[in-house]
Amino acid sequence: MSAEALVERRRAAAERRLAAGRWGGRLRGAVPPLVVFIAVMVLWEFSLAALGVQQFLLPRPSVILAALIDQQANLSRAVVYTATEALGGLAIGCLLGVVAAFATARWLTAREALLPVAIAANSIPIIAFAPITNIWFGSENPVSRMAIVALMVFFPVMVNTVRGLTQVDPAALELMQACAASDWQILRKVRVPNALPYLFTALKVATTLSVIGAVVGEYFGGPRYALGIYITSEAYVFRYPNAWAAIVIACALGIGFYLVVLAVERVALPWHVSNRQASS
Amino acid sequence: MSEPIANGPQSAIPPAQHVVEIVGAGRTFGRGPGAVTALEGIDLTIQAGEFVSLIGPSGCGKSTLLRLIGDLIPATTGSIRVNGKPAAAARRGREYGIVFQAPVLMDWRTVERNVELPLEVMGYTREERQRRSAEMLSLVELADFRRTYPWQLSGGMQQRVAIARALAFDPKLLLMDEPFGALDEMTRERMNLELMGIWRRTGTTIVFVTHSIPEAVFLSSRVVVMSARPGRVIRIIDVDLPQPRTAETRELERYFELVTAVREALRQRGDEGGAGALDDAALRIRAEGYA
Repeated sequence: MSAEALVERRRAAAERRLAAGRWGGRLRGAVPPLVVFIAVMVLWEFSLAALGVQQFLLPRPSVILAALIDQQANLSRAVVYTATEALGGLAIGCLLGVVAAFATARWLTAREALLPVAIAANSIPIIAFAPITNIWFGSENPVSRMAIVALMVFFPVMVNTVRGLTQVDPAALELMQACAASDWQILRKVRVPNALPYLFTALKVATTLSVIGAVVGEYFGGPRYALGIYITSEAYVFRYPNAWAAIVIACALGIGFYLVVLAVERVALPWHVSNRQASS
Repeated sequence: MSEPIANGPQSAIPPAQHVVEIVGAGRTFGRGPGAVTALEGIDLTIQAGEFVSLIGPSGCGKSTLLRLIGDLIPATTGSIRVNGKPAAAARRGREYGIVFQAPVLMDWRTVERNVELPLEVMGYTREERQRRSAEMLSLVELADFRRTYPWQLSGGMQQRVAIARALAFDPKLLLMDEPFGALDEMTRERMNLELMGIWRRTGTTIVFVTHSIPEAVFLSSRVVVMSARPGRVIRIIDVDLPQPRTAETRELERYFELVTAVREALRQRGDEGGAGALDDAALRIRAEGYA
């Protein structure tokens, strides 16, 4: 068989997989982790009594599930409030991060001055500032948590986007130079598409960070119905299953955000390596 | 292919039709004692419709010379004119297409839209872009793959897309920097035949950098042999093989004679350029993530 025919066959196969396997393949991929999850739950449920672990140290999944159902009203109010904080902070932080990235990528002097600072700032435990933002905006004000979240996501988004905008194949730049492309055209047609996968990587990190920032930020103060406050106050009065139920909700929120970004990435970047299903 | 624009700026050129005119060109990288002279005293004139290969050992500056013609790197000395204009003006006037060793296709664009990229930059209308990309893709025999993404193609096919892209706006000059260097021998020979077909059909002047002697002899109307450090033209060999070049060309006695002539020309000064010679890619300090 000629090389061309082989390639054609491979391409056709890849296209078939892209079309038909879009959902089938994904569901099949979800089976192994689901099996592991169920196995862990079953083990957790039945081994605690055997090992003599006290209920208050680690409640059984069935108890947590019961608390989830029982506390439905409180938890849904809490999750809406905390999700708003996380999303608000996420939006502000990502927007500022992307804007700062474009500015630093555009002006070399700005990049040389700002990027090292940004990379260093990236390793600061920003959550430590939560008591400070409470003083600035008031602990009952969701803006206090949004500020924390925005600060937390700003740096990874900015640093990654700058990388994507600047780490471009030098030959691609020569190619654009050869057809006398303007800086604006190079930005639009080469740098921005090149930066998108980097941006999505940053967004995946940022979504997870946003829930952490919002919930942990609430540990330092917030309205009584916020998710973080709910966790600490329920634990304080020994209603551990309720605290656990709230933690499960916080996890679900983080995973939910992540999956949304993943889905958007799949649709927006069908060409990217991570979305190619070819076997080669 | 008819090219109405050709009657404009082109008509100012005298009948000799020098597409490339290099006089005393040189290029030095760096300054002071650490400076490296990549090219020195290059004189070369290329007529319309010629196929000229630049060949030489690693570090002879052949890729650098190609980039001087394309104004991707400025010359430190001498003058370079393309289509009768200074190289910089010719680049700004989009008078040449270029193909690199790596195909340099945008992963996020389909084959068709990759070919259209320079046309978009130049502000062609959507209809015109589509018409030209269709024409170019049939020229390189990839019409059926226009909606395919580059990563779904083989290396040879990707390089054909790059050629289609370089020719999409009918440039009078095509610069090629070891375009088939990363391909296996069999694919390379087939690509050589295809390139000959494209050259005949389009009448484009081609400057072709290679380190393969058989490739240079097979393709060219003239072979420019260069020496390393500093890069100089040591001989220009006219290739008087009959046109059109076909698979049989490689079996002609004259072909072997010419291959030997080029090899001997290279050997004359090639000794200094052997082991440890600075690769000109390294001189340009370009990331080499591809190949």
